[in-house]
Amino acid sequence: MIPGSSIRPTRRGLLGSAAALSLAGAAAPAAAQNLRGTTVVFASWGGSYQEAQKACYCDPFAAETGARVVQDGPMNVARFRTMIESGTPDWDVADITIDFLHAGVPDNLFERIDTSLVDTSRIDPRFVHEYGIGCIAWSYNLAFNGRAYRAGAEPKTWADLFDLRRFPGKRTLSNNPVATLEVALMADGVAPDKLYPLDVDRAFRKLDSIKAQTIFWTTNSQSQQLFVDEEVNLGLILNGRAYDAARKGADIALSWEQNIQSIDYLVVPRGSRNKAAAMRLIDTMTKADNQAKLANMIAYAPTNPAAFAAIDPKISPWLSTEPDNARKGFVINAEYWRDNQRRLLERWTAWKLA
Amino acid sequence: MRGRAPDPRFWLLLPALLVLLVTFVLPVGGLLARAFTQPEPGFQNFALLWERPVYLQVIWNTVMISAAATPVALILGFPVAHAMAHGSPRTRRLLIFLVLIPFWTSLLVRSFATVILLQRRGPLNTLLMNIGVIDTPLPLIYNLTGVLLGAVQTLLPFVIFPLYSSMKRIDPSLMQAALTLGAGPVRAFLRVYLPLSLPGLMTGATLVFISMLGYFVIPALLGGPQETMVAQMIQDQIAQLGSWGVAGAMSFVLLAITAGLLALLHKLVGLKAVAR
Repeated sequence: MIPGSSIRPTRRGLLGSAAALSLAGAAAPAAAQNLRGTTVVFASWGGSYQEAQKACYCDPFAAETGARVVQDGPMNVARFRTMIESGTPDWDVADITIDFLHAGVPDNLFERIDTSLVDTSRIDPRFVHEYGIGCIAWSYNLAFNGRAYRAGAEPKTWADLFDLRRFPGKRTLSNNPVATLEVALMADGVAPDKLYPLDVDRAFRKLDSIKAQTIFWTTNSQSQQLFVDEEVNLGLILNGRAYDAARKGADIALSWEQNIQSIDYLVVPRGSRNKAAAMRLIDTMTKADNQAKLANMIAYAPTNPAAFAAIDPKISPWLSTEPDNARKGFVINAEYWRDNQRRLLERWTAWKLA
Repeated sequence: MRGRAPDPRFWLLLPALLVLLVTFVLPVGGLLARAFTQPEPGFQNFALLWERPVYLQVIWNTVMISAAATPVALILGFPVAHAMAHGSPRTRRLLIFLVLIPFWTSLLVRSFATVILLQRRGPLNTLLMNIGVIDTPLPLIYNLTGVLLGAVQTLLPFVIFPLYSSMKRIDPSLMQAALTLGAGPVRAFLRVYLPLSLPGLMTGATLVFISMLGYFVIPALLGGPQETMVAQMIQDQIAQLGSWGVAGAMSFVLLAITAGLLALLHKLVGLKAVAR
């Protein structure tokens, strides 16, 4: 069924079959265990995210198929490319960001998704790509301190973020042109469907107007800390970081107006020795109950809309793909950024120094 | 290593040399080599640095910020080293302990702690406002002040220890002699003590300046947009653009500047004095 992969007696394979055998009796229906002896290496970003992915995709996959899944990582673009250059990647499935997906496709870094093994119909079509399947979605949002504004007078739109008269004081933006330039243009009145190609001069002119009042965050924990310590009352933050700050007691609220969505994809590195098994691991990820379980664990938005039936109603308002939230947002144009990132990063740095 | 047969002590150095070779020389050499080989062989990465003003601007910015941090560290470190060199053994032990404490904490943790301490609603501003020294919080971070404060507190040991070892060798009777012979305390300090502590000062200044050139965490967490330094740009090149070639070229330029400054220093005061 998987030519080559189960025949080659590698050390990893042998260890894998031993583990699979010990697992087989306990967990899974014996009939479906047709990947016994196969080892799939899953690479992601570490931390609680990868732990959740292990529990929600890898463990159910292993139980169902008898394959063994080895966790590796952290995902790293340079390492990924070096692996493909060397011919035999160590990884069979990797979690990558949307920009690397679009950067990697022209460089032929990924295996085409085998739709006979991956049921792509479960996934929102916006998150299905020829070379990767979206597993989570997240977004850039306007966040604000819930205590700082009277009810009804809270900042709602990107224009409010740039309105120093109605919303005075320090605000925060990401120290990166990606999404920030889009935000500036929307604040200046450009409609989301008219954003690309970005009018860069106009975006920087708009940014000039709040530059002196803006603290730029470099790391996500920094963005969170700025809100927790009330250094800023409003600003740009990732939805997951706002949720985490709120869970830790910060009085932080999100606006979903014109949120900019981004996606993590699962891909199979080109040359994977366990291609078919890798595809089936991706298929396990697409199932609604597995995605719901992950959202309940760490509040990352599912790409299978059916997952919302089983997601905690306290968590779903924080998720980018929750139908109301998704309607207000749009997906970032990663091809545009792939083609323009160097130029715009140079321009961004020059603008910061000026 | 002179002469034919290696000094037997050479073999004791071998493990350290091997570790340096594998963990430092090879990877750094690899990165620098990529400046000339990626994406294709040639000088296109250096041409890019030359053509787009922003790269040299950031490198220049880095040199200026490092140059600003150096005197601050020297001025703060000098009295501490003096007290260590000429105080009682108890004072010395206490000061050595205090100066070394920062080495026990990770730079990242310390930088976040500095953020919390210095921010608008941080303890320092709150205290100053409560006792009525200021009405509005002082902007202590997200600007050059923040970078200098953060950098200097991490770099002080590099000033204090070389100064201390230099001052320890200064014979205290020389100062007494100068005073007895009619020099005022300021003159005696400037004409006798300061020149004698110069090797320590130069070493400290060199260490601070060169360490600061490569700082990443501190400008990222404590600086504002204008405090962008070259390490942050190198990181952008690798993590966001995957341009190892440009990153290598920037590292190469940074290394060349460092080497150039060391050579200049050697010319001015002699590296032997610095290394002593």
